[in-house]
Amino acid sequence: MRRVLLLATLVLTAVSAFGQDLASFEKRTQMRKLDNGLTVIIVERRDAPVFSYATMVNAGSAQEVPGITGLAHMFEHMAFKGSDKVGSTNWDAEKAALQRVEEKYAAYDRLRRAETNRDEAAVAAAKKEWEDAIAEADKHMVNDEFSEIIDRAGGVGMNAFTSSDVTGYFFSLPSNRFELWAFMESERFRNPVFRQFYKERDVVFEERRMRTESSPFGRLMEQFLATAFTAHPYGFPGVGWPSDLHSFSATDAEAFFRKYYVPSNIVITIVGDVNPTEAWPIVEKYFGRLPKSPQPEALRTVEPPQIGERTVVLRETSQPIYLEGYHRPSAADKDDPTYSVISMLMSSGRTSRLYKSLVRDKKIAAGASGFSGFPGEKYPNLFTFYGITTPGHTPDEVAEAIHAEIDKLKTEDVPAEELASVKTRVKADLIRRLGSNSGLALQLAEAQTLYGDWRELFRQVDAIDKVTAADVKRVANATFSANNRTVAKVESAPKGGAK
Amino acid sequence: MKRVNTAFAVFASLLMLAGNAPAQVNSVNDIKTPPLRKFSMPQPKRIVLPNGMVIFLQEDHELPLISGSATIRGGSRDIPAAKAGMLGIYSGSWRTGGTTSKTGDELDQFLESRAARVETGGGVDSTSVSMSVLKGDFDTVFPIWVDVLRNPAFREEKITLAKTGANTGISRRNDEPGGILGRELGKLGYGTDSPYSRQSEYATIASITRDDLLAFHRQTVHPNNIILAFIGDFDSAKVEKKLRDTFGSWAKGPQVAKPASAFTPAKPGLYLVAKDDVTQANIGIVHAGIERNNPDYAAVQVMNEIFSGGFSGRLMQTLRSQRGLTYGVGGGVGAAWDYPGLFRVQMATKSTTAIESVQALKEEIAKLTTAPVTADEISLAKESILNAFVFTMDTREKALQQQVLLEFYGFPSNYFQQYPSLIEKVTADDVQRVAKKYVHPDQLAILVVGKEADFEKPLSSLGQVTKIDITIPEANAGAPASTSSNAEGMALLNKVRDFVGGQAAIDAVKTVRITGARKIHTPQGEMEAQSVSLLQYPNSLRMEMTLPMGQITQVISPGAAFAITPMGTQDIPSSQRDSALADMKSDMLGVLKNASNPKYVFTAGKMEKIGDVNAQILDINADGSMTRWYVDPASGRLVRTQRTSSGPQGGDVVTDYLTWQKYGSVNMVTSTSSTRNGEPYTSQTATNVEINPAVDEKAFVKP
Repeated sequence: MRRVLLLATLVLTAVSAFGQDLASFEKRTQMRKLDNGLTVIIVERRDAPVFSYATMVNAGSAQEVPGITGLAHMFEHMAFKGSDKVGSTNWDAEKAALQRVEEKYAAYDRLRRAETNRDEAAVAAAKKEWEDAIAEADKHMVNDEFSEIIDRAGGVGMNAFTSSDVTGYFFSLPSNRFELWAFMESERFRNPVFRQFYKERDVVFEERRMRTESSPFGRLMEQFLATAFTAHPYGFPGVGWPSDLHSFSATDAEAFFRKYYVPSNIVITIVGDVNPTEAWPIVEKYFGRLPKSPQPEALRTVEPPQIGERTVVLRETSQPIYLEGYHRPSAADKDDPTYSVISMLMSSGRTSRLYKSLVRDKKIAAGASGFSGFPGEKYPNLFTFYGITTPGHTPDEVAEAIHAEIDKLKTEDVPAEELASVKTRVKADLIRRLGSNSGLALQLAEAQTLYGDWRELFRQVDAIDKVTAADVKRVANATFSANNRTVAKVESAPKGGAK
Repeated sequence: MKRVNTAFAVFASLLMLAGNAPAQVNSVNDIKTPPLRKFSMPQPKRIVLPNGMVIFLQEDHELPLISGSATIRGGSRDIPAAKAGMLGIYSGSWRTGGTTSKTGDELDQFLESRAARVETGGGVDSTSVSMSVLKGDFDTVFPIWVDVLRNPAFREEKITLAKTGANTGISRRNDEPGGILGRELGKLGYGTDSPYSRQSEYATIASITRDDLLAFHRQTVHPNNIILAFIGDFDSAKVEKKLRDTFGSWAKGPQVAKPASAFTPAKPGLYLVAKDDVTQANIGIVHAGIERNNPDYAAVQVMNEIFSGGFSGRLMQTLRSQRGLTYGVGGGVGAAWDYPGLFRVQMATKSTTAIESVQALKEEIAKLTTAPVTADEISLAKESILNAFVFTMDTREKALQQQVLLEFYGFPSNYFQQYPSLIEKVTADDVQRVAKKYVHPDQLAILVVGKEADFEKPLSSLGQVTKIDITIPEANAGAPASTSSNAEGMALLNKVRDFVGGQAAIDAVKTVRITGARKIHTPQGEMEAQSVSLLQYPNSLRMEMTLPMGQITQVISPGAAFAITPMGTQDIPSSQRDSALADMKSDMLGVLKNASNPKYVFTAGKMEKIGDVNAQILDINADGSMTRWYVDPASGRLVRTQRTSSGPQGGDVVTDYLTWQKYGSVNMVTSTSSTRNGEPYTSQTATNVEINPAVDEKAFVKP
């Protein structure tokens, strides 16, 4: 009895603390939709004279098709190359020169990719013309002026990311640089200039070599997604297939930009020492310059149901890794909160089921986890489990132990105490995430982009609070079946062959 | 109406013009920057207790959370080389191993149901015990945090778990090229034996004992070695009182002093690690760096910013933006707080541009010491540092962490506030001077990790190459001295051997069958059973028990592990089998049979009174399975064993050996009594002991 009482008190404390936060948040948050369709959110946190922002574009690598895989990420890199007003010594001359680079590249690329009777001499000549055109264009630019201006103004944490679902840009500045920021950030999405595109393409290829090709984990992930998805672009590597990375052009990137970087497809969140009364006119002035443009068409392709188990095995000289994924619906699905609960039950903390079984008791894995939303969550995606084997243990042992825990989810009700513990942690975790400008900017922008309402960040907690033991059992049975499973593993081949 | 509206619009736009910026902004230069709002971050309150403990309290009422930490002097650099990796085992089993009153698993349950965290960690010069709670739980969780800090139990099962994690790390340390580069570069910079770069091996991990961990706790956890820091939604006066009440009467202990360290950096030159499953070469360059208290520190920071700050630094400009050779490149003269940092440069490039990149990096490094710094470079570097300075203390938490850092290393509390004025004074000449002083193009150790066959030309085209072998030593190869028996340990073992009947008699025992009765304490009460156990050396056990509910037979052997119960035959899970096999290794005769096995390590310890016997401790590492014996040194009689079992029925099991009887030429124990985690567990009385009985050949085979 005492125990039950204690628990009830706990949950109440957590809930009231959390309610207080949402209310105080609503008070400090303003949102506007500009005439061109751009959504801007301002959250006041007035302690230190700094602010952070996140620009979230509702387009990611899932917007790619074969031939241009990697382009969403490539554009993200180009967004640091400036505009007509930032990064040029003579825009008219540079513009003409860049146009010529594209013409020369198209000619070279066509010759180079000839499927029959490739004329090597012509390829070499075309390549030289293209390289000469680049050298000419480079004469009119200021190297990395965009980032230099932000660095000089005291910008920190300047970076960006491209996921399957979205592309995000972010950094922080002292609050007296707000107008500078508004100029720079609007500038790069008003008229981005694709200078040094082909150098940057080499840089991106190095990123591919680093993250994917030279890392057993990277190789495994790429194969896992390519195996799990047969139709949907979630199966493409975000960084792009090598052939596409070698081929696509600045013209391709510009077309992608025109289609997806339209104001109605973008959310900007600003968090920190910003006075909204002073900030709105500046936001309107600079971001109002982005031209209105039609909302891009929604993605057509839907991954068909998986009707048989798939397995991909990488025999490597490195240590074993085990991964398996099950198709699940998108984040918009009514069962999304139940998937979150399953993920917490399986993976959160030392009381989680996978930790207790695989790590603590069986000692067959140094880490094991099950999580939703891979590689994205806007579209139907994978609930993924993984285990990192300990010396002397195999991926098969890990699979067996994971399946035993999945079977428990399917057949046994989650004890009330365990479910309550998970819900308490979901609430506390949200509170813990509210304490940083940059973290908040990203999370609010993401919620607004994915769900059309930043408050969803808070509402998700309520939805999770309503999940029952029966929901967990039902969703586990509907999802975790052998036919719906894709397995990817690294097995250790004996040294020698590949060494 | 329309007219009015237009007039209003014009008026409004005029207001906008006046209030903000020029209507048309064509360049960043058109934007005026107002001065930054004057601001100083509230600093934490500092309290020193008479016992030397330093406390910082920082109120932060934005969110209903409270966090705290104890930072304790002493870290991996204070641990001997033979025990490399011990700090990871220590901090990894400190919290999970529980306290003397609660197991780690109990703590997990208690804390996680409250979304609270108490965690332990460790680094090169300190360890920490931290907590984070919703403020309503502060009073409930605080005592646990204190208990973890002061009364850790380091239960063996969690030490084993931490060791499994450490061994997993060792087994995987050559999988990712970036990991290899970082590690080997540290070894080149400091020398392989340095406490700042030394690497754990299976053997050093195996040598770590619970006593080592308890000793390190005793050595370091004293109030005068501890800095406490609390932040969150609390009233400082109340928390101060709580901390004074809790820690005020804690007596001072020995101070942890910084260990003397000698560095033996590798010779300058080219080094190669062969890694064939990659498409990139990872390149690292290293030599000695500086300490934080160096008077040139600020000038060095400006130099580093010019060399490698953000996207505008020389390295990114040249190697990434202009040449497209790499995704990431960076480096500079590093400064550690109380020991020398390293000058380090790192990058990754495709295999076919490995040599070109090494040369390009060497050129950039040489350029740093020869080419003049431009006015634009120096202004960009200084403005970047100065304008971003506000971010070094833009939250109350950062202000708190800085004060802990300054206290820990004995720097003045206004160190960070003074920093901008030091940066402002740096001139181009200063940068040039410190570059010549701290960057040495002729002293570079250059390391390349990659597939040399794919490089555009061999690394040796740049000079003589030293190959570094990164093969991971097997568990028992080259075990350090501390993992071999000490003479006193062997002498004590021999006394037991003689008491039991001598080596020949012991070796002649192949099988033992013990028939008797046992009492088992369960939560439901005491249970009595008749039992017959058959142990066939080295590792097959069959145990038959007759209980009120029927007969249960358990068989554990490397080939088969199963249980026969009234409900049928079931396999025993492999984890349970493994822990039972480990338990068997610590069987008395099993240990004595292995007296000369190099995988068995015997270490004599101190004397301890067991009942009225003045016994001596004999710690046994039976091929990875740890047991402690208490031996009467006068007679060689084993009076007690102590072992932490890792199985589901695990725990700290202490068994007293009560009576002995001779069967043939072997002295066998005939009654024992055990406790588990201090609670009564089981007692056994043998009615018959048979040495080498006839054994049914199916005894260990699954029916």
